[in-house]
Amino acid sequence: MLRFLVRRTLGAIVILLLISAFTFFLFYAVPRDPALLACGKNCDSESVALIRHNMGLDDPIPVQYWEYMSGIVTGRDFAAGSCPAPCLGYSFDDSAPVWDTLVDRFPTTLSLALGGGAVFLTVGLGAGLIAAWKRGTWVDKTFSSLSLVLSSMQIYFVGPLVLALLVYNNEILGQPSYVPFTENPVEWFSGLLIPWCVLSVIFTANYTRMARATMIEQLQEEHVRMARAKGMSGRTVFFRYAWRGSLIPIVTIFGVDMGSLFGGAIITEATFALPGLGTLAVDSVQELDLPMTMGVMLFAATMIVIFNIIVDATYALIDPRVRLS
Amino acid sequence: MLSLIYTRRLRAAAVGLSVGALVLTGCSSGGGGGPEASEDSPSESAPEQAQIAFADAKASTGPAPEVPGATPGGTIRVLQRDSYSHLDPAQIYVSDEMSLATLIHRGLTGYRMNEDGTYAVVGDLATDSGQVSDGGRTWTYRLKDGIKWQDGTPITAQDVRHTFERQFAPFLTSGPTFVQQWLAGVNGAEFRNLLKDGPYQGKHLGNDVLETPNDSTVVFHFKDPQPDLPFALAMAGYSVVPKAKDTKQKYDRAPVASGPYKIADFKANKSMTLVKNPEWDPKTDVIRHQYVDKFAITFNHQYEDSSKRLLSDSGENKTAISFNNSVDAASLPKVLGDAEAKKRTVSGFQPYVGQFAMNMDRLKDKRVREAIAYALPIKSVLQPYGGPPSGQLAGGLISPTQAGYQKDYDPYDKLKKPEGDPARAKKVLEEAGKVGTKLTFAYVNTPEGQQYSVSVASALEKAGFDVQRKDLPADTYYDRIGTVDNGYDIYHHSWGADWPSASTVIPPLFDGRAIADGAKNYSHVNDPKINSEIDRIKKITDQKKAADAWFELNKYILEDVLPAVPTYYFKHVQLHGSKVGGVVFSDVVNGVDPTRLYVVR
Amino acid sequence: MWRRFRRDRTGMVCAGVVLFFFALGLLAPVISRLYGKDPYTLYGQDRPGLLNEYGYPIKPNGGIDGEFWFGIEPILGRDVLTQLLYGIRTSLLIALAVTVATVVTAIVLGVAAGYLGGRTDYLIGRTIDLLLAFPAQLFFIAFLPVVVALFVDPQDETPTYVRVLALIAVQWFLGWMGLARILRAQVLSLREREFIEAAKLSGASPWRIIHKELLPNLVTPILVQATLMLPNFVTAEAGLSFLGVGMVEPTPDWGRMFAIGAKVYQNDLTYMFFPGVAMVVFIVAFNLLGDSIRDAFDPRTTR
Repeated sequence: MLRFLVRRTLGAIVILLLISAFTFFLFYAVPRDPALLACGKNCDSESVALIRHNMGLDDPIPVQYWEYMSGIVTGRDFAAGSCPAPCLGYSFDDSAPVWDTLVDRFPTTLSLALGGGAVFLTVGLGAGLIAAWKRGTWVDKTFSSLSLVLSSMQIYFVGPLVLALLVYNNEILGQPSYVPFTENPVEWFSGLLIPWCVLSVIFTANYTRMARATMIEQLQEEHVRMARAKGMSGRTVFFRYAWRGSLIPIVTIFGVDMGSLFGGAIITEATFALPGLGTLAVDSVQELDLPMTMGVMLFAATMIVIFNIIVDATYALIDPRVRLS
Repeated sequence: MLSLIYTRRLRAAAVGLSVGALVLTGCSSGGGGGPEASEDSPSESAPEQAQIAFADAKASTGPAPEVPGATPGGTIRVLQRDSYSHLDPAQIYVSDEMSLATLIHRGLTGYRMNEDGTYAVVGDLATDSGQVSDGGRTWTYRLKDGIKWQDGTPITAQDVRHTFERQFAPFLTSGPTFVQQWLAGVNGAEFRNLLKDGPYQGKHLGNDVLETPNDSTVVFHFKDPQPDLPFALAMAGYSVVPKAKDTKQKYDRAPVASGPYKIADFKANKSMTLVKNPEWDPKTDVIRHQYVDKFAITFNHQYEDSSKRLLSDSGENKTAISFNNSVDAASLPKVLGDAEAKKRTVSGFQPYVGQFAMNMDRLKDKRVREAIAYALPIKSVLQPYGGPPSGQLAGGLISPTQAGYQKDYDPYDKLKKPEGDPARAKKVLEEAGKVGTKLTFAYVNTPEGQQYSVSVASALEKAGFDVQRKDLPADTYYDRIGTVDNGYDIYHHSWGADWPSASTVIPPLFDGRAIADGAKNYSHVNDPKINSEIDRIKKITDQKKAADAWFELNKYILEDVLPAVPTYYFKHVQLHGSKVGGVVFSDVVNGVDPTRLYVVR
Repeated sequence: MWRRFRRDRTGMVCAGVVLFFFALGLLAPVISRLYGKDPYTLYGQDRPGLLNEYGYPIKPNGGIDGEFWFGIEPILGRDVLTQLLYGIRTSLLIALAVTVATVVTAIVLGVAAGYLGGRTDYLIGRTIDLLLAFPAQLFFIAFLPVVVALFVDPQDETPTYVRVLALIAVQWFLGWMGLARILRAQVLSLREREFIEAAKLSGASPWRIIHKELLPNLVTPILVQATLMLPNFVTAEAGLSFLGVGMVEPTPDWGRMFAIGAKVYQNDLTYMFFPGVAMVVFIVAFNLLGDSIRDAFDPRTTR
């Protein structure tokens, strides 16, 4: 297990290095000038040059990249203050350290991902298991077609629709917002309820289908049939044996989904104006805030890579037959 | 509700430029079953800007007259969209930071709102708005007694000297540059040569430029008459910085307060808490109050979010307000249609004037420009930004926030026919024999920009032009159209005045000697009469005469030269909780005046 | 196979629906001509009485009437039906192009990795790992402007085709890995099979083996995956337009209708209704079609 983790972590670091280089060089090589944006009302070429210098943009790109990367490990000193490791630089836009902003924004994204994940995992699995249990009946058919239709809805369509019906026109629920859990758990919950549900709409179906299919497969497997032949009741077999085997594919897609959600659910956050990593990314791209964009990109990629490792490690825990190689 | 990709600021691009263009992008429109805008717009601040007086010592002596009904104590929650990028006064040039600055920073002069809604420039740290001599070239300020920094040390003339000397340092790039340029007697960035590294290497401005004969006297010596100095000094950018506590770049995160409030806590992108500054003495301040114990500011509230919270008026939203957020356009029908909510709104003008610049290098025939002026559908330009509550259609270049504005001035019948008059445009174009003229129309690639571009292109085509559309990215829009050899014929931009005089509008936009890459003469007009008039009017020390002269020049520019077609004057509506008192719209910060707020008991 | 598919009634209906959408896109100009409107005229701004002062349709339900069947667009006042038709045309064209590009790439790289093995396989495998670690949506948003900026001189107009190509390029860049992996696995297992061995022994060239023996056996996964991919590309492209980085005016676009809809929904919910429902129908039909095709090719799958 340890060897596996070390090897995978090294691999992940290589991947992250490549992503950072790719992102950095493409961004910084493109003929768009963040200094112009920061230049202000009485801008002229001299001021632009000054700002470019202050932003460190007048160094050659490889030098900038080297400073950026070494800053992550050792920290950096800027005129505006020192930036301890992991230093992702200062935002061009509001000159706050990128890392601090990421740390500030992450709880929103985390709440959205965890809550949404809880909803779509339980609803999806539940519906899938029931559908498999009642295979062929109207229950199965209803669940299957419902999940298919729901999965075909897009957040940018359902979101406004739900808001219009539940919030704006009828005031059944409040405007979605993010209140930190530590500040007020009730408001945290009620503020995120709509985003969780809407986010789940597109994910749930996948889990329903997957759970149903693997469950049916499992029910036909040898050891399950054996258990049944030994006289166990259908329910015992179903809940004790069969579902275990169906976990692996579910864990895989859940891990992958979580990995991408932890880096920011861009459309959901944009639809509900939640101040998470997704909206941060969209804003910083728009404002040519290169350090911030780099920061979010690296953060999101790190999440994806970490979750990939977690998924693979979980295999081994669920199913001892899987060898970590 | 939505925060689409373009709806946030591109704030860094400065107050008068992109911010103006993008401030309203969060707005769409009212409509549906909503009320008619014209009948239901909320009460407005003075629609026509009266002349602003430069006040004497008596009018500059504190304390400020009590706000009727005000009670001390309590906390006001402030919902803001953008975190503050700059706290160092010398870096402050955008409106939300200016609002904040009114609470924590003080300068030599400041604006005071009179009982009747008019404004005066008063002495803030100084005893009056300034003693002028030598035909406007020398200005003398005496500091009040009892003015202190938040650490209790007195504010001295040396601090004021330091404040202006540090403005020459290369790390201060975002603030205004008027006074520095006037001191150096140059236009443009060469002003920094006067004091290359600021005061940090031990060099100082000579007594022939800035004189501090004793601890309470500051004298400015300019090469040319600068009658607008009291206006300039009232800008947040010229608030004072203590010599002993100047931490250079780091000052931008933790400034020393001189106003009634100080920063207790600031988490960028998250929150800021302002508490009372006990060293601030109300007797020295005729502008500000200190009713509230605490301002709890939180960021990342999109317009939709703040509007809905304030509209609900529930719980702690009762004592909430936003200094700068507008009501988003989609909520406007609801807010303006609800009598209770409408009572909690204030509305007023922002200083920006939207206008189409016509490239004089390419459109040399005035009749062609006239045809464009007749054809342009100015109503459709305003519509994507929210319609009537977001702006007032414009006839002239001088906006209602400026001295000399005339409501009925409408040389091209734009107010009578805001949808444009393609028939008349076509007639003009036919008479000129220029039907089918190719017209390259550049626009900003935001959702709103895309929408108005469709209307504008369609109207120009109907008038007989061959329209070529060019979409430019929002982040570099002003840079592109600001290039002299830009290759475009018409493009929309908005420009805001820095103080209520056309002297910060007409010269930068229409002075032919200022044509350069990055300069703001977007239409590249170079007319000898305009140039000479600018020089003449700039030196007029009588404000009333100057305002009239600027208006006459505006008429000449539009009617005889026609380098630009005004579209609309920016406006916005703001909402506050029912337990917040003393809410007035200030034409100075172009939003709620933070210094008068109190909690209703 | 075809016969099996024809017996699947759901599949047939869905195929019909999908074809109908493609036909709508293809025939958009003809339909518009018959209907008498076009997606560019600003009916609401040209004619008084259609939009109110705020720019919203005066008639209820988004201005639906005998003349404007799906209503008119707020603010600009264009005809929603023709906007939608032309928008579907744009979106489907882009999605189709992305699908073709990704499928071709996946075939080339997947087969190369599986058949050649060794270093090629390793290289392609690691590239896939790398690309899979990119946050896809963030990547699209961040790099679309970059790609456009790389190919267009800042002073020039951005031609529509460059924007289309950029949209295709970024989605293609992160779109091909899944199929490539599947194909690689298939080729790996096929490679060991007797008929390939036989062909090898008979001295057939690698090209001939790939062409004549491998590819025909890969048709099934390719077709199934392609039908699953295409609707994803449609929604992804729409998502980008929704976020404001997709196609720009005046090119009609399905996704941008959602961006506009999201702005006006509080006062004109109807506007979003038709593009939204159309997209749900299209995606449902396409997904069911994908299932049917899989069943037709591979009857063992449990449904």
